Amino acid sequence: MLRYTAQRLLLAIPVILGVLLIGFALLNLVPSDPATVRAGPTASAEIIAQIRIEMGLDRPLWEQFLRYVSNVLQGDLGNSLVNNMSVAEELSRSFLATLELILLCLVWAVPMAILLGVVAAVSRGGILDRLIISGAVAGISLPVFLIGMVLLWTFGFKLQWLPFTGRGGPLWTADGFRHAVLPSLCLGLIFIGPVARITRTSMLEILGADHIRTARAKGLTESVIVGRHALRNALIPVTTLIGLQIGYLLGGAIVTETIFSWPGVGRLAVGAIVANDLPVAQGAIIALALGFIAINIIVDLLYAVLDPRIQAR
Amino acid sequence: MTLATGNVLPRPAPSQFRIRLRGDYLAMASFAVLAAMALGAIFAPWLAPYDPLAIEMTRIMQTPSGAHWFGTDGQGRDIFSRVLFGLRLTAMMGFCAIAVGGAIGTAIGLLAAFYPRLDGALMRLMDVLLSFPAILFGLAVAAIIGAGTLSVIIALAISTVPLTARIARGAGLTVIAQDYIAAGRVIGLTDSGLLLRYILPNCLSTIVVFLTLRLGQAILLAASLGFLGLGTQPPAPELGTMAAQGVNFFFFAPHVTIIPSLVIFALVLATNILGDFLRDILDPRLRG
Repeated sequence: MLRYTAQRLLLAIPVILGVLLIGFALLNLVPSDPATVRAGPTASAEIIAQIRIEMGLDRPLWEQFLRYVSNVLQGDLGNSLVNNMSVAEELSRSFLATLELILLCLVWAVPMAILLGVVAAVSRGGILDRLIISGAVAGISLPVFLIGMVLLWTFGFKLQWLPFTGRGGPLWTADGFRHAVLPSLCLGLIFIGPVARITRTSMLEILGADHIRTARAKGLTESVIVGRHALRNALIPVTTLIGLQIGYLLGGAIVTETIFSWPGVGRLAVGAIVANDLPVAQGAIIALALGFIAINIIVDLLYAVLDPRIQAR
Repeated sequence: MTLATGNVLPRPAPSQFRIRLRGDYLAMASFAVLAAMALGAIFAPWLAPYDPLAIEMTRIMQTPSGAHWFGTDGQGRDIFSRVLFGLRLTAMMGFCAIAVGGAIGTAIGLLAAFYPRLDGALMRLMDVLLSFPAILFGLAVAAIIGAGTLSVIIALAISTVPLTARIARGAGLTVIAQDYIAAGRVIGLTDSGLLLRYILPNCLSTIVVFLTLRLGQAILLAASLGFLGLGTQPPAPELGTMAAQGVNFFFFAPHVTIIPSLVIFALVLATNILGDFLRDILDPRLRG
């Protein structure tokens, strides 16, 4: 397991370098010259030249990149062009909010999706199966913002059951939890469809396998067969899919945060891009990409725990 | 066409047969929806009852009526006309991105399959690209060249490349292992002749099915980027952008946001159902 973990971490290095390269490109390839932006519209040519030297923009590109990487590794992502706050500080605050949202979504959506997938597989061809499958196909075709706006209108505005803007504090406080319910519901609803679908396919495959027939022949009850013998094996491809869907979830999270004014990294990134605040945009995109890579590593390791054959490879 | 294959296949059990038939009806309905949308988009300049950009402050936020089938938006523009033109823009973005990304991905995948020496390097590069969620490409491209229709197309195309390359490589490897490719080599066909005349056509159905399934996701992403303000810029009528413009007065006139969103939903749903249907017919291996 240790060897596999090390291998998996090594594989992440070129990807992380790629992320940093994109971050660097964001700061340097933009048509506007950073020194001119920093100097302001009234600065003279000499002042701009001086700022170029101060910012290291006169150095060769590879040297600038190395300096950028070492800065990022030290947690220095620059300052916002809009309010001059440290990007790293803003990120650490909003990263927690995004993590909170995604975790709360996974906590209810994953078990729910697996349950629906199992129910559909067990009642194959029946009304329940059809309902669940249609719901899943509809779910993957729904724009996140439609789900979000409908939830907001129904439970926030009409019924006034739940707050629908901002974060009320940490998740474990009553107010914090109430604020997080609608966004996590919105995010979870786009996640259930694909996961339920793959659970159903995977369950159907396993339920036709020889060891299940043996279990039936032994006279085990249906619930033991489904719960103990089929589901555990079916969960392996489901775990892979959940890993693959995290990217999709991240996209959903960015839109969800915008709709519910959730102060997370996605909203920070969108706001920064719209405001042309490149250091913040760059920092937020790097944070999202690194978070995505970290989640994928965790999923891969989880996969190896569930399926010992993976480690052997 | 379906009937013909139905006659050749052994007669399926009744329940299976019904499921198949039901699938066909769904696929037929989806096809009808897509065809209607395509016609609406193509003939938008003639079909649209109003100018999609004409602001009319005396009729803002009207609910759907006989004069304005889908109502009017916050600036009194006719939503039905805007939806017709919006379908054009949204579909164009999806198609362009899928076509460009699909072509590049296919080229990379087939080259990797054909030349084992290139395989490692090319596919590692694809793995790196694959580690970025598509939406992050959207954010990054918008940050570099500015938000707009072009940046959405570029981002979607880039994110389509690695996935297509994987599929094309897999399909290519299967084809290359066939005897007729070896025979082609023996009679002295050039590499490019083999690739273009024999390998590519035999991989095409797999790739097309995959790209159809991908199209729905691409359209959703384009709309999401539009909704975030990182896609097509107003006043151009793009469906996601239109939905976003209704957000500010959502509580007074929800239809301004809901109607474009529902149109996106219908478009993507029909594309997905048709994609599933094509997959089941042309390439059941992609299932799952």
